[in-house]
Amino acid sequence: MVTLDALMRLPGAMAAFEFRGSGELLEHQIAYPDRLNDSTLDLLAHMCAANMSIATMQARGWEQITAMKGFYPVRAFTLVGFDWSVVVSGLHREQYKQDGKYSLPPFMGVVMSNENADYEAAFAALENQEPIS
Amino acid sequence: MSMIKRLLALDGVNVVCHFRDDGNLVEGYGLMSRDEMTDLARFAHDYRRMAQGNADQLAMFTGMRGWTPPRGWILRGVTQSVCGVGNLVCLVDSIDAPLNDILLELREVSRW
Repeated sequence: MVTLDALMRLPGAMAAFEFRGSGELLEHQIAYPDRLNDSTLDLLAHMCAANMSIATMQARGWEQITAMKGFYPVRAFTLVGFDWSVVVSGLHREQYKQDGKYSLPPFMGVVMSNENADYEAAFAALENQEPIS
Repeated sequence: MSMIKRLLALDGVNVVCHFRDDGNLVEGYGLMSRDEMTDLARFAHDYRRMAQGNADQLAMFTGMRGWTPPRGWILRGVTQSVCGVGNLVCLVDSIDAPLNDILLELREVSRW
């Protein structure tokens, strides 16, 4: 699983964080505390959890009405804001679920400045797959 | 030729739709029926409004500038992803699609 240190090395990274499915902020690192503080990151994590939940409902519904596959489960959500972007992933949680594990790892995310953001690199880092022990 | 059609030239882009502010489909191209494009446009319209509302509240509660107005969003599924910018939405392959280029092109075309 990717580390917060590795996420902080992404181009334009301002913060890297972990959060529960309920949105509570866990471990995190912030590069510029004067721009982005703990309480803002906590609310951002809650917003990401909400978006992931609703997107999951929509993916489920979409697959039912269209018979198209490949949307569910939603692996990641990205909001491209006006100046900042956030990318979060729950891929590792899905792997644990598929392996029948009850204790799931947290979601992981990274905040980036749009000016330097590399979304493909962010997804590649967040989806770095390792065998589950 | 419609401007949005050029998005289909990018690797991994399977469908592109343009919708009105009320969510009704204006035009769509790619590997999907007209009815499904109508549904995709409505979904994208609703998701955009929701993401925008959440970003507005984040900005209001934290006082942090730079989140609103949002420029776009991506939902990444197992093999299919959905990207939205403005009143445009694309269905793309999750694996190997050049998302950075797709977002740039969506932003460019959404200005027309």
